[in-house]
Formats: sequence, C-alpha cells, structure tokens
Amino acid sequence: MKKLLLILLTLSTLILSSCDKEIDTIKIVKERGYAIMGYDNTFAPMGFDENNEAKGFDIDLAKEIEKVIGFNIKFQPIDWNTKEAELKTGKIDLIWNGLSITEERKKEILFSTPYLKNRQVIVTNNENINSINDLKNKKVGVQKGSAASAAVSSHEIAKDIDLIDPSTYTLVLQELKNKTVDAIVIDEVMIRYLMEKDNLNYKILDENFGEEEYGIGFRFNDTEFKNLFDKALSDIRGNGKAEEVSIKWFKEDLFLIK
Amino acid sequence: MISYLIKVLIEVLPGIKVSFQIFTFTFIFAFPLAVILSFVQITIFRPVINFFTWIFRGTPLMLQLLFFFYFLFPKLQLTHVSRITVAIIAFIINYSAYFIEILRSGIQSVEKEQIEAARLEGASDFKVFIKITLPQAIVKEIPTITSEFITLIKDTALVTIIALNDFLRLIQGVVSRDFRLEPYILSAIFYLLISYIIVKIFRKIEQKINFI
Repeated sequence: MKKLLLILLTLSTLILSSCDKEIDTIKIVKERGYAIMGYDNTFAPMGFDENNEAKGFDIDLAKEIEKVIGFNIKFQPIDWNTKEAELKTGKIDLIWNGLSITEERKKEILFSTPYLKNRQVIVTNNENINSINDLKNKKVGVQKGSAASAAVSSHEIAKDIDLIDPSTYTLVLQELKNKTVDAIVIDEVMIRYLMEKDNLNYKILDENFGEEEYGIGFRFNDTEFKNLFDKALSDIRGNGKAEEVSIKWFKEDLFLIK
Repeated sequence: MISYLIKVLIEVLPGIKVSFQIFTFTFIFAFPLAVILSFVQITIFRPVINFFTWIFRGTPLMLQLLFFFYFLFPKLQLTHVSRITVAIIAFIINYSAYFIEILRSGIQSVEKEQIEAARLEGASDFKVFIKITLPQAIVKEIPTITSEFITLIKDTALVTIIALNDFLRLIQGVVSRDFRLEPYILSAIFYLLISYIIVKIFRKIEQKINFI
C-alpha cells in the first residue's frame, strides 16, 4: 500500500512538473492563426452565449480588437472556477470576461490596462437587510471563484456569514429567487443589466463590497503579448469603436481608456 | 511538497466529511430501499417501479441534484431543508434505482423450481422473497454491487453543482487560490484509497459467503 502511494505520488509529480514549461504565446498564436480567449458563458452582459453564439460587451470589444491586432480571437467557454488552470496550462491564452483586477489575482495573472469600472454590490429581496452588518448569520450567495467571493471572504464579516457559492451566476440568481440565500454579492454591471432585462425587483444596497476595475488577464510572463492588447485597446478608443460598443450595452461611454 | 499537501489535506477536512456523509448515508439506505422496492416490484406495482427506475437511471444524477435542490424542494416550500439533506435524498433515490435493476437480474437467475417448491410448502410471497430469492440474488450480484459503491464514492463529487463543499470542490478551491495543481494528486489518492477499502470489504464478504 505504501509503495503504491509512493509510485502514485512520484508519477503525478512528474506529470505535473512537465506542465510548467514556458509557453511562447506570441509564437503559438502566430502559428495557430488565432488566440484563444476564455470566458464564462453565463456572465451577462460581459460575455454569454445566446443561440450558441458568444455575445456581450467584452466579446464585442474583442471582435473590434481582432480587426486591429493582426490575428483572430477564438471564444472558448470555460468554468470560471478553473480559469487559472486553463490559463496556466495553455488551454487558453487570455481570460477576458469581466475579470476584476484584485491584489490576489495580480500575483498569478498579468493584467491589461483597466478598461471598465465596477462595484461588488449586495442584492437582496429581504427587507431587513440594509447594510453589510445585517448580513451577519445570513446565507450569502456568490459565484465560486469570483471577485465577489474574494471581496466577501476578505471582509471582516466573512466569519459570521454562511457563504454559498454555486459555480455559475445562473444558479446564484436562482438561489436568491428561491430564497435559499438571503442576499447575493454580484458585479453591479451584471445585476443592473439583468434586472432591467428580466424586470426583476430586487433591492441593491448603497453599502457595497468595494469598487474595482476590469482587465484582461494573461499568463504571468506574457508581457509582450499583453502589450499587443494594451495597444489594441487604445487603438479601438482612437477609432471610436470602443465608445460604440459601450453605448450599445450600457447606453453611455464607460470605457476607461482615454 | 509533502508538507504542502499535508497542509492542504488539513484544510479540506470539512470536504472529506461532506463526501463521507453522502457516501455513508447512501451506502446504508439505498440498498435496503432497493430491497423493499424490489419486493413491491415483483408482487404488485411492477409498472410503477419500472417507471421509477427508468426515470432515475435514465437521467444524469447531476440533473437530478439540480432538479431536487433548485426546483422540487423550493416548489414544495421546503427551502429550509439543508443542502446536504437534499443531496443525500437524491443520492439514495438514484442509487436505489440502480440497485433495483441489479437485484432484478439476480432474482431472475434464481431457479423457478425452488420458488415453486417453496410455494407448494405454503410459503408466502414475502417468505419466498426473503428466504429464497433475495439471498441468492445478493450473493450472485456482489461484484456488481461492489462496483456500484465504487462509483458512489466518485459520484459524491457531483454535489458541487448545488454549491456543497465536498472534498473535490475544496481541492479545486485550493488549486485556483494557490495556482498549483498538486492538490489534485491528493484527491486522486483519496478516491483510490476509499475504493481500495470498499473492494477489500466486499472481498471479505464474498469469501465469507462462499464458505457457507
């Protein structure tokens, strides 16, 4: 039995260490002809699937970037919870889907210039919840692996909260609807969009879990590859396309890059 | 690396508890439930039980978990029932459906003469089932039942869909936080170890029975 365990351990270490090779992204992308962009296909309005087609603010921006960057971008739906592994092992070349720039993530992911502002807001249908303090001893829903989850976990109230974290936003919202949670914490950009689209009547609290910015995520060593995107981001500001996309989804120009 | 894995193991202990709870309750209750339903099946409500096994073997367990937790229980106003209870109920029902079918094949292989002889002696349906068909069916199907329980320990990972922090889910959380893939090794060892124990237990049972 002990021997068996040892064999297993050595084998798996070998397999795993071979995954850590440097990935030359620009070369691979040039050869392949396209870059692979990972996105969570339940995260409206940033990136989501409709009739088997990727749609959303980030997707539209990516399509504009394709036109100026010199290679195509393929949209690959991923499980938001394993996005880091997808990126690290080279299954995708970038994460672009309302990816909040957090201190934690900065240690593992290289971020582009921030292009949109967002807040992590508290949404509830319980009239007794009006502040962060009211969440004490309550069930709070967040998406697993999301910035909302990180924001709540790092807040001092975390130890008094029963955190419920399904893997997709669809299920987080369903929990709120079913009242299996008392409140959810979610990207303001998303919940405002959904409430208007589906005529939902939830309360968004004034107090929130902090403001943040969205960026495109790259492998930690992919500085050169990232610079291509930074340049492309300012290019689509320059040619007016970014403004067009922002007005299409948010009715105003929220694109941060000047 | 070993010390890192030990640290991770301690951190994911609550997940091991969740996986074990689901495994243990299903292990204990699914089979007896299947035995009862099998008796019902061969005596009175055959079509009802057939419909039951068709539904629960014919749809993914993950879908059943979603249905139970996000639809059925809220519709019945049972939102206060804990997540793990819902998961255990779904697992017991699902696994009993499989066991019914396994038992059915075992029951069919019992020689008809034995049953007829018992009937002639005046044994009731229940007595024939308990004393003659069921024991033989179980003995014959032990290998199949063993592999069903091995499947069960692996299936416990499906509860992640209703946001239950089982073992694999916590491991995944560690992976995405630490950005290291080694914790997956831990999970592999965990499932291998449990299935090894299950196989050992059932081998012992098999040997005991063969001696009789």
